[in-house]
Amino acid sequence: MIWLTTASVLTLVFVVPAVLASALKMIPVNIQPGYNSDIRLSIYKIRGFSQKFVAKTGNLTAIGTSIRNPNLKNKTDVIFSLYDNGNLIRTSILNGQNLEDGSFVKFVFPVIPDSLGKEYTFTITSPGAGPEETIEVFIIGEPEPTSGITEYTYEEEVHPGGIPLVSYSQPESKLKTINSVYSSWLSRLLSPGSQKSE
Amino acid sequence: MKKILVLAIVLRVLVAAFLFHPDIKTFNFQASFLKKGVTDIYSYLIENRKTLPLKEEFVYFPLTYFVLGGYQAIASPVLGSGFDAWLGNADSNTAILNPNVFRYLLVLKLPYLILDISIAFLLLKFFDSGVMGKKAFIIWLFNPFTIFIIYAFGNIDIFPVFITLISLLLIKKEKLLLAALALGIAAGFKLYPLLFVPFLIFGGKSTKEKVLLGAIPFGIFGAISVPFLSQAFAQSTLISGLTTRIFNPGFAVGFGESIIVGLLLFSALFFGAWLTDKKPNMFNYWIAILLIIFSFSHFHIAWLLWIAPFVVILAVKKPFLSWPLFLLAMASVVIPLLYQDRSMTISLYRAYSTWFDLLPTPFNAVERFYDPYNLQSILHTIFAGGALTISYLLFRKEKSQ
Repeated sequence: MIWLTTASVLTLVFVVPAVLASALKMIPVNIQPGYNSDIRLSIYKIRGFSQKFVAKTGNLTAIGTSIRNPNLKNKTDVIFSLYDNGNLIRTSILNGQNLEDGSFVKFVFPVIPDSLGKEYTFTITSPGAGPEETIEVFIIGEPEPTSGITEYTYEEEVHPGGIPLVSYSQPESKLKTINSVYSSWLSRLLSPGSQKSE
Repeated sequence: MKKILVLAIVLRVLVAAFLFHPDIKTFNFQASFLKKGVTDIYSYLIENRKTLPLKEEFVYFPLTYFVLGGYQAIASPVLGSGFDAWLGNADSNTAILNPNVFRYLLVLKLPYLILDISIAFLLLKFFDSGVMGKKAFIIWLFNPFTIFIIYAFGNIDIFPVFITLISLLLIKKEKLLLAALALGIAAGFKLYPLLFVPFLIFGGKSTKEKVLLGAIPFGIFGAISVPFLSQAFAQSTLISGLTTRIFNPGFAVGFGESIIVGLLLFSALFFGAWLTDKKPNMFNYWIAILLIIFSFSHFHIAWLLWIAPFVVILAVKKPFLSWPLFLLAMASVVIPLLYQDRSMTISLYRAYSTWFDLLPTPFNAVERFYDPYNLQSILHTIFAGGALTISYLLFRKEKSQ
């Protein structure tokens, strides 16, 4: 019994994190930038939103951001389209029914292997939604280097900044992901002075 | 013995330092106001909700607040100057990525470690036979269930559990009035020990003693709670958790009335003890009450700690029940892990990496193949069946012995 419990606890503490890490199909490249929740743009019918950004990772496989769906009224398709030099390369469609108001939403698409450093444009539209079924994205008024956002277009006007996005990449290998998880954990655990009282 | 104890402590320290449930940060944030001189935390949190970074109410009873707050004051030199800022940090990402998080978790869970090890020694003393006592000691220290429940979930239930076990020991030594006093103190942390009081009354030898056995726990609990009685207190404590879940309606009898199954069995047990049991064995009634609660309510995983010392005692007293108890323990731990609540499973590992936020919970994983609510129901029903059988066996064997 003693050894069984010892093995269980050691597994719980040291092995389970590796199992969880190996189950990750994508990893975030940046932390979501802060934003003012009062500054938002509405998306419905032909009123779409277009964002330019520089990919901060290779193997780009998803873009995430926070979206409002006031009173959960939008139950139509929300379409994410990714363009490379004006050519549509990826599309991801979610249904408004699955968008909780203010929730963080990921648009997942097949991996783009050579994405690192390239500039892309994506649009978010909800052509089936009427003015009462609008969804809203939050806006940062200036370019943000960690997420790579540069400028956005809304109602045919171009502005600096864009939405507070998080890019996701597909891990190169399970082993590298496990290694990254343990390195991050150990670096915090062993960071100078972290386990001493100030 | 020393080596075993050291190993038990090392295992606990590992889980305590690395597994994180957000509740420990929330209730320690609330308890931190004691250092600032706040005594009525219930009203304070509601009155200052707008300006506080964490908006939750304090759902525990006053002794929890004073013990946690008092401990924080004592431990503050070890916790360091950044601790209060960490407690008040509402950003779950930066809070968990703080390099000090492991030290904070370890220090905050240190009282649990002390009580947990003390429970092992109480169990050692519980049995007249040294062999049985040692067996209970080892089972308590080396069962994965309590280590997980206490240290992963930062479980404050260890306070009333420890005191309730003292109460049971006092009953064994026929010090019933002191046992009643202990139950009242335990209820100052969490309400559930008061459920044992109706049965304790039957242990009294005279009417006067019976009245005292009923009055003392409620009196102590009242003395602890009355200074804080307010709308805020009632809203935060009495209306939440156990009281609402345990009295969940069962089946309708028409015209808006329903029979509450857990209460029905509690009542049957009470009247059974009153009318048929001349010499009630308190241990049997107490464990049966808890088995009934877990069988017929949507319980929190932390509640399972209430029954843990009793299960260890039962497994040692009646070894033929060891395997059934183990299987029921497995089922009872798995049921809450299937709730749609990230903090019960994947989020416990956020101190390793916030990337795990991207993983589906067991609920979501099961959902792809089967209805997780149905799976919970199946497991809970199996648990209830086993629990009721064990309760029946307790009393049947007791009477035939």
